[in-house]
Amino acid sequence: MLAYILRRAAQSVLVLLVVGLIAFSMFRFIGDPIDNMLGQEAQQEDIDRLRTELGLDAPLLVQYVRFLSSAVQGDFGVSYGQGRPVADILAERAPATLELALVSGTLAISFGIVFGVFTAIRRNGFAAQAIMSLSLIGVSLPTFLIGILLIYVFSVELGWLPSFGRGETVELGWWTTGFATRSGLLALILPSITLGLYQMTLIMRLVRSEMLEVLRQDYIRFARARGLRTRTVYFRHALVNTLVPVTTVIGLQLGSIIAFGIVTETVFQWPGLGLLFVNAIQFVDIPVMAAYLMLISVMFVLINLFVDVLYFFIDPRLRVDRSEASA
Amino acid sequence: MRQIGMATALCALMGTHAVAEEFKWAGTTDPQTLDPHAVNSAPVLGFLNNVYEGLVRRGKDMTIEPALATSWEPIGEGEGWRFKLREGVTFHDGAAFDAEDVQFSYERASGEAADTRSWFSPVASLEVVDPYTIDIKTNAPNPIFPDSIANWMIVDKGWAEANAAATPNKEEGNFATLNANGTGAFKVTAREPGLRTVLEPHDGWWGEAEHNITRAEFTPIQNPATAVAALLSGDVDFINPVPIQDAARLASNPDVNVIQGIEARVIMLGFGHEAAELKYTGDAGKPNPFQDAKVRQAVAHAVNVPAILQTIMRGNAEPASQLVSPAMRGYSEANAARPAYDVEAAKALLAEAGYPDGFSFGLKCPNNRYLNDEAVCQGVVSMLAQAGITAELDAMPVQNYWPELREDNFDMYLLGWSPGTFDAEHPLRFLASTPNAEKKLGSWNFGGYSNARIDEMLPIIQSEIDDTKRQAMLDEAAEILQDEMAYVPLYVQPLVWGVRSNVEMTQRPDNFFILRWVTVN
Repeated sequence: MLAYILRRAAQSVLVLLVVGLIAFSMFRFIGDPIDNMLGQEAQQEDIDRLRTELGLDAPLLVQYVRFLSSAVQGDFGVSYGQGRPVADILAERAPATLELALVSGTLAISFGIVFGVFTAIRRNGFAAQAIMSLSLIGVSLPTFLIGILLIYVFSVELGWLPSFGRGETVELGWWTTGFATRSGLLALILPSITLGLYQMTLIMRLVRSEMLEVLRQDYIRFARARGLRTRTVYFRHALVNTLVPVTTVIGLQLGSIIAFGIVTETVFQWPGLGLLFVNAIQFVDIPVMAAYLMLISVMFVLINLFVDVLYFFIDPRLRVDRSEASA
Repeated sequence: MRQIGMATALCALMGTHAVAEEFKWAGTTDPQTLDPHAVNSAPVLGFLNNVYEGLVRRGKDMTIEPALATSWEPIGEGEGWRFKLREGVTFHDGAAFDAEDVQFSYERASGEAADTRSWFSPVASLEVVDPYTIDIKTNAPNPIFPDSIANWMIVDKGWAEANAAATPNKEEGNFATLNANGTGAFKVTAREPGLRTVLEPHDGWWGEAEHNITRAEFTPIQNPATAVAALLSGDVDFINPVPIQDAARLASNPDVNVIQGIEARVIMLGFGHEAAELKYTGDAGKPNPFQDAKVRQAVAHAVNVPAILQTIMRGNAEPASQLVSPAMRGYSEANAARPAYDVEAAKALLAEAGYPDGFSFGLKCPNNRYLNDEAVCQGVVSMLAQAGITAELDAMPVQNYWPELREDNFDMYLLGWSPGTFDAEHPLRFLASTPNAEKKLGSWNFGGYSNARIDEMLPIIQSEIDDTKRQAMLDEAAEILQDEMAYVPLYVQPLVWGVRSNVEMTQRPDNFFILRWVTVN
């Protein structure tokens, strides 16, 4: 078990190094940050001097090694666009992204499971059919379009909800939260629906098909034959057995909710990490892009590692097979 | 937004209604620094014009008017300029303003680390005569010097030194990157880079307030659709710019006004004058036709500028005849006519130049620098095709574009130029002079256009005190550039601002948003 985790951890470090190298070689195609940092009256000597000062004249591998060696010491450099340490900026933006991910993740999971169970149980009912058809929208419409549609309906036409931003926030130490104020809560509604809709439909469809599968099993028939209450059959026996694959998918989707909030954050000008990353691309802010990509890949690697380890505990067959093989 | 909550709570306590003078606006770019000498770019200087002040400033019609200097006069026969400073001015932190701050700001803004130092290349020295008089000596007579320093902002010496910000630092940042202490009508009370900046009136401001703003908040919104929605829903009172395709729709909305004007920026086509051979398409390696003025004139006749303006710019721009717009000082009235759209003339010129069957070449174009830039280039490609020349368009983000141009990777390219000094001399220096790194000339003349007469006239124009003689030379330069068609000026880029109908404001052609001209009704 320990050897397995160690091996997985070593693989993860390798993955991180490769991701970083790929990211660094991509930066050259994103463009040249110098023109954004100097005005139009800058001369060639200014350009050359700045390039040397930033270390951009060094070969790619040298730049990458420099980045890694300071990143290991917790120094992610200074943002070209803001002239502040990247670590500070990331820490400042993280709460917005995490709160949004938390709310939309909770929405997606709770509504996804409820609708999934409902459409499985009443699968020929009108309401279930309607939900299934509507869920096609969630799967097929791009996030960008959903966001703009929601803004036009609820902000521009009805004027109920703010069209952008995070509302009023309250500071709790280094964390800023939008949960404590009315405007902060209102501001969360549209972005979290936009971000969570796809995940919700995904979870709903997964729960539904798993439920339908489980409900055909013999032990459900026996449970019914024993005269158990319908509710017990559905929720104690059927639902719990669908949750093994659902948990795995939810775990993996959690990563993408954080990482791919980029589009939602851009549409709603949500002051989180995704918006920071988009702005960094426009400005060719290499230190910010590098730190963000490393952060996201660390997160994905950790989640994958966690899910892999989780399999050991969730699925008894994995453990049995291994112990037999080693015996 | 924390402060809003407090302000609203306060109003509720006092039993009044919502604060009418609260003003919010959005733009696409956040100023990357609050240091007025660290970055010479329009988003930074435009924003800081509300916070810092220079010796002189520009009025609603772009004319130079007194700010921290009350008057100025030339010294002797063009030795320099003497500025009388305004007395009784205080910085936001309460410190008094005097000649020492001007001297400090000169050293700060012209030093090695400053991005603004090109403004001071004509300056030999700055001398303090008395606490409210300074002399700026120039290397040569310089008639437009006061015009050229409207964005040179004065920083308090004591404040900068006490906070270890005596020199700007754009790589690492320093105290002045995030904090500001100017003499302007507004002070910065909160700053979260990339998210929001809050301004409040400076109580000790020397001027008479024309505005009725008690608090203003700026939020950068990059996504145009989000900005339009924010304006329509009233979450912001003003956005700049309005996407051109949305201008008509917004104008028809009773809650919103669209303010249109003409910017200082001229959009033009440039050529690889120096390149002996074409670099792109099947004709790569063949002699470069654009070295022939007739071919360049043919291009000018082939491009249907009115059609571009009508379809792509939706009637929001004006055609351009020269490198500066009519609003600039030194604009040449004598050369106000631009080549007519005439495909037959273009074909005749091409035949005369030895290309009756046309040729093909590569056109480079940015796709996120100017309004609808890529669409304009596509239009140019199809119009040139009608005259028999085939352009292969390569459009790219501006971050990749300038490096390509600097590497000479083009046969023809699109460029926009806004003269920082609002004077016709500016594009001559940057776009039309033979490139010379030592003399700092022609640094944006990517094609390497060279004309001995223009090179000869430029230093004379720069030091000519007599306006009539100066204009005569500017006219001559404009005529040469038009005859040789060194660049093909297409149009002057429009300014399209969107504002709630209860707000009044003034739009300045340099696209600077001046908060002290805003009234919320």
